[in-house]
Amino acid sequence: MLGARLSRWTMSYFAAALIALVAAELLMALGYGYPGAPVESAETLVLVHLVALGWLSLLMCGALFQFVPVLVARPLYSDSLPLPTLACLVAGLATLLLGFLQMDGIVSIPFAFFPMAAALLAIGFGLVLWNLGRTLWVARPLPLPARFVAVGLCSIAATVTFGIIFTLVLGGVTDNPHLVDVVASGVPLHAIAGLGGWLTFTAMGVTYRLLAMFMLAPELGGPRSRTGFYCGTAALAVAIVGGVTAICLAASVTLVLFAAGLLGLCALLLYGADILHLYRARKRRMIELNSRMAAFAIASLAASVILIVVLAGLGILAQHVAAVVFLVAFGWLSGLALAKLYKIAAFLTWLECYGPVLGKMATPRVQDLTVERRAIGWFLLYFVAVWAATAALLLEMPVVFQICAGLMLIASLGIIVQLVRIRQLLDVSATLRLPPGVRVPLLLRCSVQHD
Amino acid sequence: MTTSFVEVDVRPTLRAGGEPFGEIMDAVNALKPGEGLRLLATFKPVPLLSVLSSKGFEHKMRELGDGDWEVLFSPSAAARTQPETGAPGIRDDGAWPEPLRHMDNRDLDPPEPMVRILAATEEMAPGEVLSALLCREPIFLLPELAKRGHTWTGGFEPDGTTYKILVRIGGSRGAPPPAAA
Repeated sequence: MLGARLSRWTMSYFAAALIALVAAELLMALGYGYPGAPVESAETLVLVHLVALGWLSLLMCGALFQFVPVLVARPLYSDSLPLPTLACLVAGLATLLLGFLQMDGIVSIPFAFFPMAAALLAIGFGLVLWNLGRTLWVARPLPLPARFVAVGLCSIAATVTFGIIFTLVLGGVTDNPHLVDVVASGVPLHAIAGLGGWLTFTAMGVTYRLLAMFMLAPELGGPRSRTGFYCGTAALAVAIVGGVTAICLAASVTLVLFAAGLLGLCALLLYGADILHLYRARKRRMIELNSRMAAFAIASLAASVILIVVLAGLGILAQHVAAVVFLVAFGWLSGLALAKLYKIAAFLTWLECYGPVLGKMATPRVQDLTVERRAIGWFLLYFVAVWAATAALLLEMPVVFQICAGLMLIASLGIIVQLVRIRQLLDVSATLRLPPGVRVPLLLRCSVQHD
Repeated sequence: MTTSFVEVDVRPTLRAGGEPFGEIMDAVNALKPGEGLRLLATFKPVPLLSVLSSKGFEHKMRELGDGDWEVLFSPSAAARTQPETGAPGIRDDGAWPEPLRHMDNRDLDPPEPMVRILAATEEMAPGEVLSALLCREPIFLLPELAKRGHTWTGGFEPDGTTYKILVRIGGSRGAPPPAAA
């Protein structure tokens, strides 16, 4: 019954994440990495980690520091740890990227970047797990959305463990044969744990609560949702634990992934049914931009699943896996992230600025901080560009892909301008903008209630 | 040490559609040191558990059949030595009168329920109680109530979907409560 307060550093996480997104889109538009370079090249690894760690993981961590307390109705364990955590994660990412460039011969400084990156990222994600884990632990029994987050946190632990093994082997620190085997065959497991377990599963949990909250729909947690949760958890356990076991026993990883894929498919079908129900059962008929754009993101997830099934059926999944990963990362995860950022930035800024004077004087509404008709064009451009870029990858048209990546970059910059305008209250009418006692908030830091 | 229990049966109040919280808190405030409370209710009074726990009571629950529950609240060992323990927002140093204002905010878009509750608290006098129905726990409202010196209690109704909050207007409006974290 203690409620949740504003998370002090969440905006800094969002800003760092958006910088990584812009950098990644710029590199793709310039033809850096896949499809111009092979999937396993150092260039592609730089790009993939800039997106997965820099953009999606930083965003997810920042969002979780704010929303885990909302999911469990308790304050965050520590409000001061997120800043050193962010420093470790950003430094770890930068060191990791330098390690890839060193592998490629572009950076020739004789420094052990990989072990350093492993240490920094382990500390950073360790702090994330400690802070969110302690917050969740005292709130047991957990509501369903928080259980998804808990499984997501276990998955990031697995992802980082795989990553550490890779960096230690590639950095020449160890030559243990089992670990070398994990490096040789474990890349799909690292990607599934990261994109599937950490990012997708956590995002699924968060959408259960956010969509219900923003559309005035009933909270779900019935047998279908629980079955979906258990199927998804089982899929991840089979893929990660089963996958590692298969590697160590020199058995078929493909078979394990097939079993995990079937369980994952069940989980996603049940999730899809739940989400359709949320949209249909909503009390709010006219839904806001963020909920409409979230539908495009969820449609991208559905399209990714259909694509996997069709490509696997045709026996050509392996050669097109990059296109599927692209659609998952940019259509589903990034699309959802941008859509929800638009709402979350407005809500948190509104609460920070006007919360203390609510009821005492006239204040703007949350929607007065945004201009949806201006933002919608950027969102539509973003989604169309992502879908076209996916098609360009499938059809092996690298120049078209670069053009689409350029359009994604323009759309993302357009959305970022909207987010900065929200944060600086630039779209609030002058009469309501700054009542006595209200100041324009800092761009990167929230003043916490009770400050 | 055996505890003697004062019995409070709120089942008739609940069956009549009434709000028993004030009745319970009055009984709790009238307890002598070392006395406990035997509460009879038509549902498991989960919200009350944390309120009374913050006032230093341990509880034992027993289902009586037909959905009725008996809860025995006894002073905890810590409370016997330090009876004035309390938690932010749910400190209780006086009576909870019947709510003066009732709001049904269940169909409002968030954060409109919070806006309306805070607006109402500004119009009410110290000691008065506001009752509001919501469709979810008002996570961000609670720190704001604490900051404004109000006390509250709340919890989901037996239907599991309606959240009812009672807010008692604080006497020192605007001053931060001493225990607020």
